[in-house]
Amino acid sequence: MSRRWIERGFTVFAFAAAGILMAVTMVLTGYLVMKGWNSLGLELVFGTTRPMDALCLRRPVLDGLFPAVAGTFALVALSVSIALPLGIGTGIFMSEFASGALKRMFSLFYDILAGSPSIVVGLFGFSISIFLHRYVSGQLYPCLLISALSLAFLVLPYLIRSTQTALENLPPEVRLTALALGASPVQNLFYVLIPRSLPGILSGVVLSIGRCAEDTAVIMLTGVAASAGLPRSVFGNYEALPFHIYTVSSQYMDSAELATGYGASILLFGVTSSLFLFSFIIKNIATARTAVSGPGL
Amino acid sequence: MKPFFFISAVISACVSVCIVLFMIILGLPLFREGLFFSMLTSPWNPSNGVFGLYPMIIGTLGISSLALVFGFPLSLGTAALISGLAPKPLAAVLRKTVQAMTGIPTVVYGFIGVFLLVPLIRNLAGEGSGMCILSSALLLSVLISPTMILTFSDTFDQVPVKTRMAATALGATPVQTFLWVVLPASKKGLVTGLILGMGRAMGDTLIALMISGNAIAVPDSLFSPARTLTAHIALVIASDFDSPEFKTLFACGLVLYGFTALSTLAVRAIDTVFRSES
Amino acid sequence: MSRMEKIRIDDLSFAYGKRTILNRVEARFMENTITAITGPSGQGKSSFLMVLNRLWETIPGAHVTGRVNIRFDGEFRDIHHRSMPLTRLRRTVGMVFQTPNPLPMSVAGNVAFPLKLAGTGKRKNTEERVEKALSRVHLWDEVKDRLKDDARKLSGGQQQRLCMARALVFEPEILLLDEPASSLDAKAAAGIEDLMLELKNTCTLIVVSHSMDQVRRTADRVLTLESGELHGCESS
Repeated sequence: MSRRWIERGFTVFAFAAAGILMAVTMVLTGYLVMKGWNSLGLELVFGTTRPMDALCLRRPVLDGLFPAVAGTFALVALSVSIALPLGIGTGIFMSEFASGALKRMFSLFYDILAGSPSIVVGLFGFSISIFLHRYVSGQLYPCLLISALSLAFLVLPYLIRSTQTALENLPPEVRLTALALGASPVQNLFYVLIPRSLPGILSGVVLSIGRCAEDTAVIMLTGVAASAGLPRSVFGNYEALPFHIYTVSSQYMDSAELATGYGASILLFGVTSSLFLFSFIIKNIATARTAVSGPGL
Repeated sequence: MKPFFFISAVISACVSVCIVLFMIILGLPLFREGLFFSMLTSPWNPSNGVFGLYPMIIGTLGISSLALVFGFPLSLGTAALISGLAPKPLAAVLRKTVQAMTGIPTVVYGFIGVFLLVPLIRNLAGEGSGMCILSSALLLSVLISPTMILTFSDTFDQVPVKTRMAATALGATPVQTFLWVVLPASKKGLVTGLILGMGRAMGDTLIALMISGNAIAVPDSLFSPARTLTAHIALVIASDFDSPEFKTLFACGLVLYGFTALSTLAVRAIDTVFRSES
Repeated sequence: MSRMEKIRIDDLSFAYGKRTILNRVEARFMENTITAITGPSGQGKSSFLMVLNRLWETIPGAHVTGRVNIRFDGEFRDIHHRSMPLTRLRRTVGMVFQTPNPLPMSVAGNVAFPLKLAGTGKRKNTEERVEKALSRVHLWDEVKDRLKDDARKLSGGQQQRLCMARALVFEPEILLLDEPASSLDAKAAAGIEDLMLELKNTCTLIVVSHSMDQVRRTADRVLTLESGELHGCESS
């Protein structure tokens, strides 16, 4: 009798839990969209400057998000180009060449890196800049380059894991076909294995871009500034969308500034969501390619 | 080509090691003065020259365990629906929504929290600013739920179709199959999901920084403000380079790194223990 | 002994995606008989069994049309009709799968699982029924000291008999066996055959089998499933 009630109770509980979670998510995103909808538009990004003038850097944008957008863009481009060769190279090593104790040890290190909070990675980036300031050049301070480097470290484990998993999930016959035709292991890797696992690797890359774009803790410690303007050099300060959102929430002056906070939030949310959707689509292509057909009962 | 891949792997591993090495080197003065361990248990009292991290450690543990208390039931229920309880189309919609939730930036959660949740909690408490451990734990629970839900439902899905079918053929309803067959077989995944959720909650900076109030004191109620280790790092970094506060940064970093490294090791240990059992 | 009809199948079609597995099948099954179903593999013999306890509904993409009537308490009822409770159906129509599939719990827990689902019986009563079910499949003496052990530690033959005991604990009126001896050695397989002949006294058995020897020794009737059609002949 009591077991019947546990079963009924659990069903109710499960639906209630999912209902609450979905409702909360709807309320949070709905509130954001409702409050920020009106601030969306070209003016949000370019303020009173003409978009073409801003894009060609003829005139500075003083009252729009353009510097923050440009900063985030530069940051993402820089950190992904640092992390990409390193992460994919490591992933290939882990899947194709590593074995035994070495593989286990490396994989533990990458797991710990993946679990490290972004503020700790940021602190590491900050430490590097202290180190460089003391021992290399007194001119060096936290800057765009240090931020990009730290973010690269932050997303490194994602790239490694997605590359490694994509390669390891290839069916054995794919692995052997080219080898049987006389290809060398390196030829096999570049002509068969990597092309075949490209969707898996790419979806990891896209997710990393999202992580770089949204992370705030790392850049707070490594050189982002509230009104730095457009990024001028990799050794200078810069603005970024997530940091703009943070500063607006803590020290907005008027409702106009607050509105840019809502606008920036929607913008960032939109960017990360579309990246997420994109990586999801790529991943579906990947699984559809390797899926085995039939009921398999 | 192989040397290139090997060098990449070594560099990546070095990054992981260097993070802790740099913090130890920069926090060395603290170790030399034997302050590190006493810092973990002493209060923060700058006027007496005491810079203990005790309030921040309690703040971190308090907020993240509270987030887990809210987040765990939500996640368990949702994951149960996704993996068997709900009709197929509903389960698919739920899974997609949860996956999409992982893409919401933390700072956006924080921003909405400041303007939506904090005033609500302020009214509820009837006093204070509304920036307190309850607000941040509530918001954090939404942030960490997708991680837990996806881990849970992955484990539930690992119960073989053949086993589920055996239960169904004996007349078990979906909820019976879940409660009496799937759930008992998924202890490992439940623990792993909890640890991952805890790690995610402890490591988060922005939500704590934006809505927990940041007061350096051991919180004594759900409505008291608190400061986490992560928020402390973000706030102190702006202070003077040679100040004693500044040195506490690296101790904070080490404690956080210790917590997360421990949880990574715990997840691995659980994995090996359960694998040898079956 | 005059036998009565137990199952009536009319115009039954089963499709998996675009592939038709059963095409407008007609069949009758008599009480207390063993019907063997043979035929080339991959023709849907297992799917046919799954129609009879509506387990097909758990397979994504499966689609069934037609009527399956089973006689409960002297009255034929359409198993796909809304008024037919699934739990009652699956308790009356027991099923044993091709490979043993013990649930991840103890030996006793496996046999008691259907009782737990039904929420019936006190502890004492449960123990009795577990013992009775295990005795019926001649497993009791082998496992009576290991009731608390994980069921997956038993040998293959023991596991398969455990699965039969589990299906028998509610005394089903129909028992579906999907190549129950295919994963067992000769001695264990012979044990299963003896068991089938014993069970004939209380059940209607439908057995998918590849082994012609087994069919000859046990079946009252053999049906062949090929290209979506069921052809029958009475055997001695």
